[in-house]
Amino acid sequence: MKEKIMHGVFALAALTSIFAVVLICVFLFASGVPAMQEVGFLKFLGGTGWKPTASNPEFGIFPMIIGSIYVTAGAIIIGVPIGVLTAVFMAFYCPKKIYRPLKSATELLAGIPSVVYGFFGLVVIVPFLRDLFRDYGCKGQSILAASILLGLMILPTIIGVSESALRAVPQSYYEGATALGATHEEAIFRTVLPAAKSGVLAGVILGIGRAIGETMAVIMVVGNQPRVPGSIFDGVRTLTGNIVMDMAYAEGLHREVLIATGVVLFVFILIINISFSILKRRDPNAG
Amino acid sequence: MNMKKRLFAILTATSIAAMMTGCGSSNNNSYGSSAEGGSDLGLITVVSREDGSGTRGAFIELMGIEQEDADGNKEDMTTVEAMITNKTDVMLSTIAGDPAAIGYVSLGSLSDQVKALEIDGAEATAENVKNGTYKVARPFNIATKGEPTGVAKDFINYILSAEGQEVVSEDYISVSDDAETFETDGSSGKVVVGGSSSVYPLMEKLAEGYEAINGAAEIEVQSSDSTAGMSGAADGTFDIGMASRALKEDEAAQLNGIAIANDGIAVIVNNENAITGLTSEQVQKIYTGEITDWSEIAE
Repeated sequence: MKEKIMHGVFALAALTSIFAVVLICVFLFASGVPAMQEVGFLKFLGGTGWKPTASNPEFGIFPMIIGSIYVTAGAIIIGVPIGVLTAVFMAFYCPKKIYRPLKSATELLAGIPSVVYGFFGLVVIVPFLRDLFRDYGCKGQSILAASILLGLMILPTIIGVSESALRAVPQSYYEGATALGATHEEAIFRTVLPAAKSGVLAGVILGIGRAIGETMAVIMVVGNQPRVPGSIFDGVRTLTGNIVMDMAYAEGLHREVLIATGVVLFVFILIINISFSILKRRDPNAG
Repeated sequence: MNMKKRLFAILTATSIAAMMTGCGSSNNNSYGSSAEGGSDLGLITVVSREDGSGTRGAFIELMGIEQEDADGNKEDMTTVEAMITNKTDVMLSTIAGDPAAIGYVSLGSLSDQVKALEIDGAEATAENVKNGTYKVARPFNIATKGEPTGVAKDFINYILSAEGQEVVSEDYISVSDDAETFETDGSSGKVVVGGSSSVYPLMEKLAEGYEAINGAAEIEVQSSDSTAGMSGAADGTFDIGMASRALKEDEAAQLNGIAIANDGIAVIVNNENAITGLTSEQVQKIYTGEITDWSEIAE
């Protein structure tokens, strides 16, 4: 009897999260899709004007889609090489004495609240970039600033997943390579790292997910201009930032369009999660 | 050295180089070649508030940034290049951190971090707002749905009383000089006040003053923006909504608006900026994107 009750409790707990996901999906699509239809799919996704409160309102989120993609891509360019090389170092080169503090440092990096990252970016990265790239018209709050900040923020994800993927590669790969005359470096970079490829990729994809969904830190350093940027020194508005900036006062169609923006973001995340699970299925060692 | 490592190093180097040259072409500022009497700060960093902000609403109206289009509709012409912040304090720290920035805040929220500019020769002070020489001013309004009752009514009486207006005149401009002294009716309960982040600091002080007199009441003050304050008051989220601008027609139709204070809007720049004043026309041109470089402003 007792067992059955506990069974029920566990099932209920499991159902809660499924219920939450279903509820969010229903909410998003039920209020978002009609708004998209009202604005027009092409005008909504491809429009470059965002003037929600004008008398002839424009609801084009193309600049925000571009913004999210640029900022995320920048984060990947900065975060992935550092993250993967850190994972290689931790798995193969790191002396035991350094390993412990290094590991806890990367874990601590993951625990810092994003608003603290944002404040750090606003006070340290933004003025630094402004001084450095002043001649290029950089106003500090820019795609570059957000990319650097997000690059730091996704490091723990990439390092963690990549390291466990590297460690999951059987020792025999490394031994085989060295037995054939490869040096330590050759064995690692040409044998072990390629073998862990899909695990590392999975880490990168998780990092992309984190970067595209990040809000608080990004709106503090990215400038939030709703237009297509001309260079990485320009500011831009991301999809998440757009929702946060306008949510407090949006009414009527404007509010529904913001929910529709959430739908677009949701689709992005869905694509990322699906590619993650495809990779995971291909390689049982990943994750 | 390992091949992959070398390849990676080359890739990084070329991509950085590509970024620099690629964006160098879009470089059109005149830093280093300052015009006569102008400033060598380079491109102006225009900072604005979000669309729903009452400060923005009042600012664009007073500065002529809101212009009528061909159909006679009023359009906000603020340049799309303007950085957008959604809080008064973020505006202040952005301006304080960027030598080339310009922005605007409520006069009562002004701090030493930034420098307020003279507009058309008038200094941004409470006195000048009161005697009408500083033109960039707007009312602070509160609004309730229907007639206020209980604590809300008592609190509003306090705000409009001599005691309340004295609190107002510490940093802002009172709406009446000969208000009566306040006597609480002793209502008890909790009232939620929400809306404009510009009115918020004043409302906090008023709530504190009121709670000291009527211990049975509790006033909770929340900050977002004017439009959110008005829609919150209309749908019952807030007992009292706050707006740092006049009520719009559709808002006035559903709510009772009361002016509780007057406030100037200070145009602010970084302390390092040598400029001390602008004309309202220059401010308008900066915000509509006609003037983009500090060197274009000849004093």
